Amino acid sequence: EFIQQNEDRDGVRFSWNLWPSSRLEATRLVAPVSCLFTPLKERPDLPPVQYEPVLCSRANCKAVLNPLCQVDFRAKIWACNFCFQRNPFPPSYAGISEVNQPAELMPQFSTIEYIVQRGQPTPLIFLYVVDTCLEEEDLQALKESLQMSLSLLPPNALVGLITFGRMVQVHELSCEGIAKSYVFRGTKDLSAKQIQEMLGLSKPAASGQQGRPLAPQDSAASCRFLQPVHRVDMNLTDLLGELQRDPWPVPQGKRPLRSTGVALSVAVGLLEGTFPNTGARVMLFIGGPPTQGPGNVVGDELKTPIRSWHDIQKDNARHLKKATKYHEALANRAAVNGHSIDIYACALDQTGLLEMKCLSNLTGGHIVMGDSFNTSLFKQTFQRVFSKDYNGDFRMAFGGVMEVKTSRELKICGAIGPCVSLNSKGSCVSETEMGIGGTSQWKVCSLTPSTTLGLYFEVVNQHNAPVPQGGRGAIQFVTQYQHSNTQRRIRVTTIARNWADAQSQIQHIESSFDQEAAAVLMARLGVFRAESEEGPDVLRWLDRQLIRLCQKFGQFNKDDPSSFKLSESLSLYPQFMFHLRRSPFLQVFNNSPDESSYYRHHFVRQDLTQSLIMMQPILYSYSFHGPPEPVLLDSSSILPDRILLMDTFFQLVIYHGETIAQWRKAGYQELTEYENFKQLLQAPLDDAQEILQTRFPMPRYVDTEHGGSQARFLLSKVNPSQTHNNLYAWGQETGSPILTDDVSLQVFMDHLKKLAVSSSA
Amino acid sequence: PPPHPDSSPTQDQYESGYQHYSKPFPNLSQLSAALGGLSGVPELEQEALTPINLMHERNLLPPRPLEAPEPNLNGDLKKVNCSPQTFRCTLTSIPQTQALLNKARLPLGLLLHPFRDLQQLPVITSNTIVRCRSCRTYINPFVTFLDQRRWKCNLCYRVNDVPDEFMYNPVTRSYGEPHKRPEVQNATVEFIASSDYMLRPPQPSVYLFVLDVCHNAVEAGYLKYFCESLLENLDKLPGDTRTRVGFLTFDSTIHFYNLQEGLSQPQMLVVSDIDDVFIPSHDSLMVNLKESRELVQDLLTSLPAMFSQTKETHSALGPALQAAFKLMSPTGGRITIFQTQLPTLGAGLLQSREDPNQRSSTKGVQHLGPATDFYKKLALDCSGQQIGVDLFLLSSQYADLASLACISKYSAGSIFYYPSFHYIQNPAQLEKFQKDLERYLTRKIGFEAVMRIRCTKGLSIHTFHGNFFVRSTDLLSLANVNPDSAFAVQMSIDDSLADSSLACFQAALLYTSNKGKRRIRVHTLCLPVVNQLSDVYAGADVQAITCLLANMAIDRSISSSLSDARDALVNAVVDMVTSYKSNVSNMHQSGIVVPSSMCLFPLYILALLKQKALRTGTSTRLDERVFAMCEFKTQPLEQMMQMVHPDLYRLDNMSDQGALHLNDTVVPQPHLLHLAAERLTKDGAFLMDCGNVFYLWIGKCCNEVFIRDVLGCSNYASIPPNMSHIPELETTLSERVRAFLDWLQDNRAFSSTLHVLKDDAAGKASILQHLVEDKSESASSYVEFLEQVQLQISN
Ligand SMILES: [Zn+2]
Ligand SMILES: [Zn+2]
Repeated sequence: EFIQQNEDRDGVRFSWNLWPSSRLEATRLVAPVSCLFTPLKERPDLPPVQYEPVLCSRANCKAVLNPLCQVDFRAKIWACNFCFQRNPFPPSYAGISEVNQPAELMPQFSTIEYIVQRGQPTPLIFLYVVDTCLEEEDLQALKESLQMSLSLLPPNALVGLITFGRMVQVHELSCEGIAKSYVFRGTKDLSAKQIQEMLGLSKPAASGQQGRPLAPQDSAASCRFLQPVHRVDMNLTDLLGELQRDPWPVPQGKRPLRSTGVALSVAVGLLEGTFPNTGARVMLFIGGPPTQGPGNVVGDELKTPIRSWHDIQKDNARHLKKATKYHEALANRAAVNGHSIDIYACALDQTGLLEMKCLSNLTGGHIVMGDSFNTSLFKQTFQRVFSKDYNGDFRMAFGGVMEVKTSRELKICGAIGPCVSLNSKGSCVSETEMGIGGTSQWKVCSLTPSTTLGLYFEVVNQHNAPVPQGGRGAIQFVTQYQHSNTQRRIRVTTIARNWADAQSQIQHIESSFDQEAAAVLMARLGVFRAESEEGPDVLRWLDRQLIRLCQKFGQFNKDDPSSFKLSESLSLYPQFMFHLRRSPFLQVFNNSPDESSYYRHHFVRQDLTQSLIMMQPILYSYSFHGPPEPVLLDSSSILPDRILLMDTFFQLVIYHGETIAQWRKAGYQELTEYENFKQLLQAPLDDAQEILQTRFPMPRYVDTEHGGSQARFLLSKVNPSQTHNNLYAWGQETGSPILTDDVSLQVFMDHLKKLAVSSSA
Repeated sequence: PPPHPDSSPTQDQYESGYQHYSKPFPNLSQLSAALGGLSGVPELEQEALTPINLMHERNLLPPRPLEAPEPNLNGDLKKVNCSPQTFRCTLTSIPQTQALLNKARLPLGLLLHPFRDLQQLPVITSNTIVRCRSCRTYINPFVTFLDQRRWKCNLCYRVNDVPDEFMYNPVTRSYGEPHKRPEVQNATVEFIASSDYMLRPPQPSVYLFVLDVCHNAVEAGYLKYFCESLLENLDKLPGDTRTRVGFLTFDSTIHFYNLQEGLSQPQMLVVSDIDDVFIPSHDSLMVNLKESRELVQDLLTSLPAMFSQTKETHSALGPALQAAFKLMSPTGGRITIFQTQLPTLGAGLLQSREDPNQRSSTKGVQHLGPATDFYKKLALDCSGQQIGVDLFLLSSQYADLASLACISKYSAGSIFYYPSFHYIQNPAQLEKFQKDLERYLTRKIGFEAVMRIRCTKGLSIHTFHGNFFVRSTDLLSLANVNPDSAFAVQMSIDDSLADSSLACFQAALLYTSNKGKRRIRVHTLCLPVVNQLSDVYAGADVQAITCLLANMAIDRSISSSLSDARDALVNAVVDMVTSYKSNVSNMHQSGIVVPSSMCLFPLYILALLKQKALRTGTSTRLDERVFAMCEFKTQPLEQMMQMVHPDLYRLDNMSDQGALHLNDTVVPQPHLLHLAAERLTKDGAFLMDCGNVFYLWIGKCCNEVFIRDVLGCSNYASIPPNMSHIPELETTLSERVRAFLDWLQDNRAFSSTLHVLKDDAAGKASILQHLVEDKSESASSYVEFLEQVQLQISN
């Protein structure tokens, strides 16, 4: 309950809710002190305050006044709970007293949001970057989606359009009577300066000096490409309507020449030159891989297929390193300016997400992957980008800077999520790096209410200098961002946890373990490692952590696996790890490199609930025997007279058991006397619909049955408790055998127990 | 009648024209074999040889403009010979040997206007085009039929068989009269060529317009008028259903226009990467005019306003041309450039080379040649892809025409120049621009052309003049051929022509018509061969000689120096007079004695020396000088002579004596006046016809009747400045004046502008430079010139 309350109020879930009081004890706990933090968690009950936060006056602290601070109401002085600096209140706080406290001092405002007036409000910017090497049907569908999206944008938002195929075209939106665009060669890598000059955003100096920016009266020129939606929506609707497939002929046996790299470079260069440090969204729509110019991931010869995991493992992916480097450089430039990049990739084959994922991962952009733009998966997902909250504001924020402040006993090791480091070294930054470390500030160019970062801490208190009993450690998250209504806002969350002596209070600490949060946080570490390390190494590392945790907290007699027991607060943890090991985040060989990138992209940004579903899909069973119930993700749950609904986050699978499928085929649901069967069939559909309506990205929906080819979606996820290896041992009456060589949970647990209790380990 | 834009006649027209020449075959060929030139018409020759002492004789001008001398040929040959407007030789009697030619001190050469608009042209469709098997000469009126089955080539003398098909005459539908075939009855014919004459399927008409839209261009304001003119003439662009058009505009960047059928509006594609120009779209930038007509109209309607606010001062002409070349390469066709300033960016950028202080220098003139070979190289590339490039330069500042002109010179293009063009401040230039454009857009055009010039064995070509690319000794590549460009050819006599009494020249122009047909236009000229110097002089064509010398002088001023070129012109007079005196004339009187045929020679040479192209000591902008030089190299003879030595008439006292009666109109024929200020009497009204422009000069004390009846003004004082039209008044005098002006106008391809000048400073300034017989600040009068020549002779 405490955990839930904390999550609801502060958007925080810690692995440990009691903190070991010394560095040594902390490392012995195996799972680091860490948390999942959702900076912009939706808080309908939290009205923002209309003033600036009060900051600690110590230059290297600047913590925000919060409920944990000691306040001397008479002297009008407050003590910083991070650095103990005593600060006078600003003059505007002259009237405060014990009965007249500002909101930020009240305990229920451990999370508070400030609206600040800084600089001019800048409109949101949406820059569409559209691939025109699409099939006619796909292009038509995409055009319609884009036209539709114009009506969803805030009217004062600036919008721009870049299209590309063999060439890259930047469309001018302000011209009447004639459509005008600037064209770039798709093969030429241009510097930001060159791009800006070529777009007429700066003048090349006559004698090869630095380009000079246009004089103020020319600044209208810079807006030609980015215009308020309300002014150009007609124009842009027409322009999109006229958009043609790339006109260059594609010879037999060739891929279309797709200049994605240059298109992105132009988009980034355009925004850099016109709206640096302003929230902007580059939305890239692609129907295939980049095939020419910088950043290409495959050549145009169809006979040379795009790289597979196999090629990558054999170091046979010719373009991989160069393309990745190119897109990383672009991503970093965009991130520096607070611009985020979405990728909407719809194609049957791979589109190069592996090489391009950093564009979205480093800038907080979305990645959406589908088979075609002419699918509800894309259309609905794209619409959902523009969904609005209870206030009618867009569920997106821009230019986020998240800063972490810790009390002296703690240091920050790093973050894992859609962010980049701002390289802000301070006293609370640890030497140890976990995830993106070495800083106490991260830039999150684009945020949604569900964007969740994993944050990893280190207890630095030495063993011989224990924290006084009853002392509390504190962490403050300060998130500055541009709200979708263009306001600048600062959200401050200050949390505290008690210190506990690991020797005397190990049970307390153990029971403060949040196994769900810990599993997700460990999984993020694993996925983060998997981006740079070999798969088996990552699995070994995860296994080792799990065994050590079991050794630390399990109760057992040495070398007696059957005696092994875990307390309730850790009981589910090994199962999470079992499914994580099998998940597409760590197992790549059943997926394309693009799919792996896609899955990982979502895994490291979703909140705890969604992350858990991704790790360990949820299975519901529907039958005549009672109301729908969650069942074990296990092959034993697959029964002939059940309908199963599996949610893996990316897929929703409805599976009709053998008998159900036969009845359905026979058409019983059409007969009035079998109304209950009709209802049974309908129930999972309704539940699925509910999920389909809300999730971003919209999951792939699979309706299958026993023996159906798409049943594999279910069969690959369930624990293979009955495989052809042990079928005969298990008898016949229940469950369905899974044809797999994967170990079952049972086998996994047996091994785990054996290793945990081993005295030689 | 006004010149026809496409005067390829129908078969009907041809037949009526053909009837003229239905003479029996033996006569013509026997005559041509037996009779050369010498036994021609002695009277004419006598007249031409009448010695004239220029120091005494002042009234040299004929009453009416000089016509080309007729070659001294037998009447039948004379009748069938090529028109002098098409084909003219400096010497209508060809000296038998180079030695004789040298002795005459006159240049030998041809002046050709091969694609001029014709009222009537026999067009021949036949399976076999009959040509000499040895030298590939086309059969022509001057071959000899040895019998019905054999003909002898008049250029190489080979005996050829007459093919069976040739025995049939499609006109008379009878067999056995090969000499009655139209090829043998006409010195100018056109063949429809078979696929043997094609390297690829004939190209469609393709037109690309490249328009300067930088600040300077917008200021000058030409764009609106260009767009209007093209809109008006869109249906008259030569071509058929395959005709394609495209547009490029440029300033510091290059703008392409997607005009693909189906679009709701034109799409402008800006390419800023001028260092590495590329084509931004596939297949939609050069579009079928018929299919994309509405978009083309939309574009032309929008264009003028699109750039009205521009602040862009740079001009990337070179890159724009590179883009144009890439756009046109797949098809060939015509590129038309409109440029208003010095190109300042990218490939082919130029620097100002003109020193305004040197404009009136009497010493040499620098920078007559190109500053870079960029334009020449690009022109040669264009020529290789069958692309002709025409240049309209509308510039108030120096734009280095010497360099820019290369783009047209080597791609067989045309060059137009409007110095100080401004749509408000210079209405005269605007009017000229509009008139030129209309003619330009609607005139006939031939694509992917080559022209070969063959001549009788013993003669050879050594230099060509005009805009083209020389592909081999006798073959010119003409990516485009237009009806307003002429060529000159210098010849030499390698071997004695004693074997023959006739010399022949044949120009064959193979081109693709705007209807996508391969056609060959063949002109054959026949001249007598003479062995007496007096005969050479008697046949001298003083205008043709002047024109050829002018061409040679232009080359010389570029390759050597302007003063060399000028000296050479003076020497030509001195040499000719000296040679005539010592070899022909038996008179020993003092003075300058010339044969009557050459009596205008010194006057014409003096006029040449006073032209913008060749003058010194008078302030002359470099670009204007260079343009005048370009004109000398490409203008047809009549037009050039009109420029060099305009025709001056008095209009206020015209009578109907000798007038032409055309239909219901009486066209007076006033007498020519010498170009001297003393002729412009204050009580008269005078017309000076300079070819492209008419000046109507009104004397201070001009008869008020004329002012009222012709100009519609009450008196001299009320004549407005800048008057450029004559009102249509129903007075006899007005009708006569207008009939005369219309008649002059109808005889030329381009529309001339008219300026009414008053007897004041401004009026004089326009007209004075044309009064070539008068002394000017920097140049001598005619009399002084003769004195100088005499001095040189006696030295
Ligand atoms: Zn502090
Ligand atoms: Zn021959």
